[in-house]
Amino acid sequence: MGLVLRELRILLRSPAETVQSLMFGVLVVALFPLAITPDPEILRQLAVGLIWVVTLLTSLLAAERSLVGDFEDGTLEQMVLGIQPLWLICLIKSAGHWLSALLPLLLITPLLGLMLAMTPSAILWLLASLLLGTPILSLFCILGGMMTLGLNRGGALMLVILMPFLVPPLILGTQWAMTEGQAFYGYLLAGLLSLSLMTLPIATATVARIVVSR
Amino acid sequence: MLQAESLSCYRQERWLFRNLDFHVLPGQVLQITGDNGSGKSTLFRVLAGLSDDYDGQIDWQVPSCVFLSHRFGLNARLTAFENLTFWMTLQGESRDESEVFQALAQLDLSAQAHQPCGQMSEGQRKRVALARLILATAPLWLLDEAFSALDQSGRDRLSTICRNHIERGGALVFSSHQAVEQMTVDQTLQLGRT
Repeated sequence: MGLVLRELRILLRSPAETVQSLMFGVLVVALFPLAITPDPEILRQLAVGLIWVVTLLTSLLAAERSLVGDFEDGTLEQMVLGIQPLWLICLIKSAGHWLSALLPLLLITPLLGLMLAMTPSAILWLLASLLLGTPILSLFCILGGMMTLGLNRGGALMLVILMPFLVPPLILGTQWAMTEGQAFYGYLLAGLLSLSLMTLPIATATVARIVVSR
Repeated sequence: MLQAESLSCYRQERWLFRNLDFHVLPGQVLQITGDNGSGKSTLFRVLAGLSDDYDGQIDWQVPSCVFLSHRFGLNARLTAFENLTFWMTLQGESRDESEVFQALAQLDLSAQAHQPCGQMSEGQRKRVALARLILATAPLWLLDEAFSALDQSGRDRLSTICRNHIERGGALVFSSHQAVEQMTVDQTLQLGRT
């Protein structure tokens, strides 16, 4: 599939951006015990929330990155004009955002968990909640990034637009991990994921058409 | 192939163009002239179907068109070859790799086929964008400022490509500040004198 291949090639040829996301996450988690307290009891209680918030911020920081290039060099126009379904392209963009910004963070989450004195079972539930929750973040971030393309200082506006939508997955994800798998939160999070998967790429495609028509 | 009736566009409290009527038939060339800021690019975006902020009617009698704007749509990290194959995927064209290399060779880009577009000069990137025309099968071409920023041999090659397209029954709409001596133009539309 040519569309996926292109996205992967671009990601592989810009490792600096992935490293940047990763460094951000590691630094926050490394600095946190130094600034608050090294007491493992307290860190253990804060760990799930902290790692979730770091993941959410990393996701936001990377939101515009993968879209701005396509917008400025005119590729977005050609995407809209082409015969390939635009929602599929938007879905692939979201997947690319997840692969480059969130997957690396997910991979080192066990390490971050150990730095914050988490128990192995707590780390497993945290990973499960992130696996289910981060795709929602990516889908929303690509929608928000698309909305603010071409606006001066669009980043701040994007934060305001996106925040209310990113809070539900944050609450459900952290609750699910902290209750170590209470089914209620898990079902809601999974439901939110499938709803986002079905609707957000279509919404992003509509926004893309508006963006190129300006 | 393309018919516009009383086409008007109002932007920033002035009319960019008003009541344009034109009709492009298969095998015809329409040149759009006008000064900077006279609305040429806006007209192209309307004709390409990217913008629906206009009055009047456009009748596209073709399923698809090729639109090349001043933004080339080339990713700086991908090579010329990769950018072209991606564009063909978008357009639903299926061609062999050898045909892509031939298209690049026709525009003197054989040596740059596997070079990332970010490392090319402006003129070379323009040629990569124009190589799409050789690979395209859409009957209607909309070329915004395609002849600018090209050297003499580049202009010759582009006009040859365009003439081949016209001889096959295709239609062409292009814009240019100055006359393009190599092209026979059927109609001219001047913007900015309203």
